[in-house]
Amino acid sequence: MATATVAQAADWPGRYHHVDQVLEQPGPRTDEAWMPGAPAKSFRENIKILVIGAGGLGCEILANLALMGFKDIHVIDMDTIDVSNLNRQFLFRPSDVGRPKAIAAAEFIMKRVPGVTVTPYHGKIQDKGTDYYMQFTLVICGLDSVEARRWINATLVDMVDEENQDSLKPLIDGGTEGFRGQARVILPTITSCYECSLDMLNKQTAFPICTIANTPRLPEHCIEWASVLEWPRVRGDEKMDTDNPDHITWLYNLAAARAKDFKIEGVTWALTQGVVKNIIPAIASTNAIIAASCCNEAFKIVTSCAPYLDNYFMMIGTDGVYSYTFQHEKRPECPVCGGELLDISVPRSWTVERFIESLIERQDIQVKKPSLMSGAKQIYFQAPPQLEAATRPNLEKLLSDLVADGSEMTVTATTLPFNLNVRITYI
Amino acid sequence: MSIDTQAHNIEEATVQISPVTQGPPDAKTRRYDRQLRLWAASGQNALEGARVLVLGGTATTTSILKNLVLPGIGHFTILDSAKVTPEDAGNNFFLEGQSSIGKSRAKEAVRLLLELNDSVEGVADESDLEEILKKRPEYFATFSLVIAHNVEPQQLAQLSSLLWADASLPPLVVVRSAGFLAEFYIQFHEHTIIDTHSETMPSLRIDKPFPALLEHAMSLDFANMDLVEFEHVPYVVILVRVLEEWKKAHGGQAPKTADERKAFKQQIAGMQRKHDEENFEEAEAQAYRAWATTSVPSDVAALFADPGLIGLKPDSPPFFHLLDALKRFTERPPHVLPLSATLPDMKSDTKQYVHLQRLYKARAEEEKEEFKKLLGVQIHDGLVSEFVKNAHGIKILRGRRWGALDEEEGDLANALQNGPREACTHLALSALSAHFAKAPGTKPTLEQLQAEAYTIAGKGFQAPEELEHALGELVRAPTADIPTTAAFLGGLVAQEAIKVITTQYVPINGSCVVDLVGSWTGIVN
Ligand SMILES: [Zn+2]
Repeated sequence: MATATVAQAADWPGRYHHVDQVLEQPGPRTDEAWMPGAPAKSFRENIKILVIGAGGLGCEILANLALMGFKDIHVIDMDTIDVSNLNRQFLFRPSDVGRPKAIAAAEFIMKRVPGVTVTPYHGKIQDKGTDYYMQFTLVICGLDSVEARRWINATLVDMVDEENQDSLKPLIDGGTEGFRGQARVILPTITSCYECSLDMLNKQTAFPICTIANTPRLPEHCIEWASVLEWPRVRGDEKMDTDNPDHITWLYNLAAARAKDFKIEGVTWALTQGVVKNIIPAIASTNAIIAASCCNEAFKIVTSCAPYLDNYFMMIGTDGVYSYTFQHEKRPECPVCGGELLDISVPRSWTVERFIESLIERQDIQVKKPSLMSGAKQIYFQAPPQLEAATRPNLEKLLSDLVADGSEMTVTATTLPFNLNVRITYI
Repeated sequence: MSIDTQAHNIEEATVQISPVTQGPPDAKTRRYDRQLRLWAASGQNALEGARVLVLGGTATTTSILKNLVLPGIGHFTILDSAKVTPEDAGNNFFLEGQSSIGKSRAKEAVRLLLELNDSVEGVADESDLEEILKKRPEYFATFSLVIAHNVEPQQLAQLSSLLWADASLPPLVVVRSAGFLAEFYIQFHEHTIIDTHSETMPSLRIDKPFPALLEHAMSLDFANMDLVEFEHVPYVVILVRVLEEWKKAHGGQAPKTADERKAFKQQIAGMQRKHDEENFEEAEAQAYRAWATTSVPSDVAALFADPGLIGLKPDSPPFFHLLDALKRFTERPPHVLPLSATLPDMKSDTKQYVHLQRLYKARAEEEKEEFKKLLGVQIHDGLVSEFVKNAHGIKILRGRRWGALDEEEGDLANALQNGPREACTHLALSALSAHFAKAPGTKPTLEQLQAEAYTIAGKGFQAPEELEHALGELVRAPTADIPTTAAFLGGLVAQEAIKVITTQYVPINGSCVVDLVGSWTGIVN
């Protein structure tokens, strides 16, 4: 209540002149039952919204929400500010480098837009439980991590209780990469979810170890050799910090020397950093477009003043402005929101190890270190060490000797926010 | 884009490329790292040399400027004689709420925008646009780009004609928005691009191998090669070899029919020793390259008829001298573009891959020297290399004056047929402009806007249903500069401005319309 009073006190006549034009009168595509005026404007007082990520998209999202009239905004981010953020994360100044993003962003918004409360949390989304997420009307995600998005997506789908309307929290997800980006509206359990579209992600280039070790052709191969093979060999258990310029320089020097030996051109310091950090180009303009799109949908959802996106908007800005708005369909075998088992056909000749490799390669699963169970039978466990050692002999056995044709198997992994159940058939 | 500015940019961009860093980058490179990976030092230099003029300090223009100041535009001026109103203070992130009310809108916005980047220069000009148009038209010549948002229709008409009249004057970006709908248009005469960042790969010339490549492919002794070497012969070499043998057996012809092509692939498969050599599998998968004739891509060939090549003078822009040389290069056998030195990755080992790469590089260097002999003027070697490397993707855009779409017979009718939804959004915004031209500051009725739309569209116009969707939204919010629409446009317009300024990537040619009720964008031309 205190928040609402402060917020009202900060409003001045004319403050919402622009936004109010679409809240005081319906448009041709507005639902007929819509109530303009005070009911449409009530979101300013009674909506609590969560923004995940205070980076490139997050900064833009926070500014948009504040100007649109959202007054109770929460933001989570685990990162601190780096100098390379300043070309787009416009709530931060050089003097903020090293500070937590969530805190610096919240302070700035509250200073610039009077009457708005932004509550920051500097930490991981996984630190918070269902009670926390239940307090929001809506969640907007501006993340660059696939793993974090899978987690929040699975969490929000899991939270849906058919008996309780309020348990359904729309999730608006934005993502950018260079001149490309997408914004989408996910109604957990109702529309296609983040997991449903996992196979649309660009596949990361992975170089085979034998190329890196024996037959390098590209500068990237030399850099991977330095970081994947030489670092652990020479520096042992020391953790590589890709933000530490000394570490990058060390890798660069090794990679450059190897490239010289093999007569390969093109190893530079910037490329070394790009490869080991897996840097994705990022610019203010793309973030602005996608964040605006996310907030526009949030505004339409909470005010009902216009129909909201159903359910996917993507944009490519390299050759003119190309965009495509479409309905992404639910995947019946989606491990998060679908009900059906994922069927996997496996050659009878495959060992457990070969099967695990094939799981890792699958674009629709994206798992790094899977553990396998069939019923109560432990097929292979990545951890703890004793269990790994106990199940390791199974790696060389045929999967078909351990798991019967047509039976179910459970795949788990630390990066997987759910248990994936699959049905194995042999071919 | 004005010819002079552009020529200047290209030259400057390639001359000033910083040397490849061999150590940790300096502070500036670290700050701009994520964008330098898109447009490199050459694009950054162009941005830093650009001067942008923005008319009006609205929520939309400050959003655009934010996305130009952050990446480091050289200079911007906001021309705005208005004082901050309570309404402005509510929708603009680059005003400080109530404390900005009553102050100069240009000064407040410039002050807050400059906080984003120390290396940018910003000027608040409180002069009156009307007065400048009348008495100081030369004002605009000092800028490289002018951006106008919701400028009063008569003034916009004057400004656009003024800038169109002289090709050396800057391009104009016209931005119009109301509520959930918006549109922007770039008025320019000509825009040439060397580095379009085309995703098409240049030809490897497998069907027309250069002598060193053919000689190398024919010299290999597949039968007596050790297995490791055999498994790592690059597919390019395998294809050149098989194709040459095929031609010898088929009267000099490449495989043509489906059967022949199948036989060609079988011939590749038949060379394998173990039937799982990945390089041979790759050769089979890439076999189409053996019968896909390398020629000048049709988009590039079409440029050879460009009016820019007529009456070429020593002081013509370097782009056209390069294009002229390219045309003459391709007139000679084997009628192909200069070879690209870039070799994609393929199954191979270091020795064989690097050897092949060197063959391509040496040949590309030779052809570049041949190309240079065809140049009528001296051009910096860096620029020639850039041109030759990107020759398969070069582009020339020719624009039209602002307003041509609505005024020229049949154009709008065509647009309405090709994309009714998009064209109706444009037409609706034109109708709103026409209304404001007659009755500034008054709220239009649906009937008034319909009448304006019919007048603009002319005789025989049958409104598609999408027109009412658009007009209805404008009646609802005729003067609303909504923060999210402003931010959306801010991103799009800045993105296009960056493409125009850096002469990299391809800007829109036509009108880009935005409908944030339906959450879509489209192009009208
Ligand atoms: Zn799903």
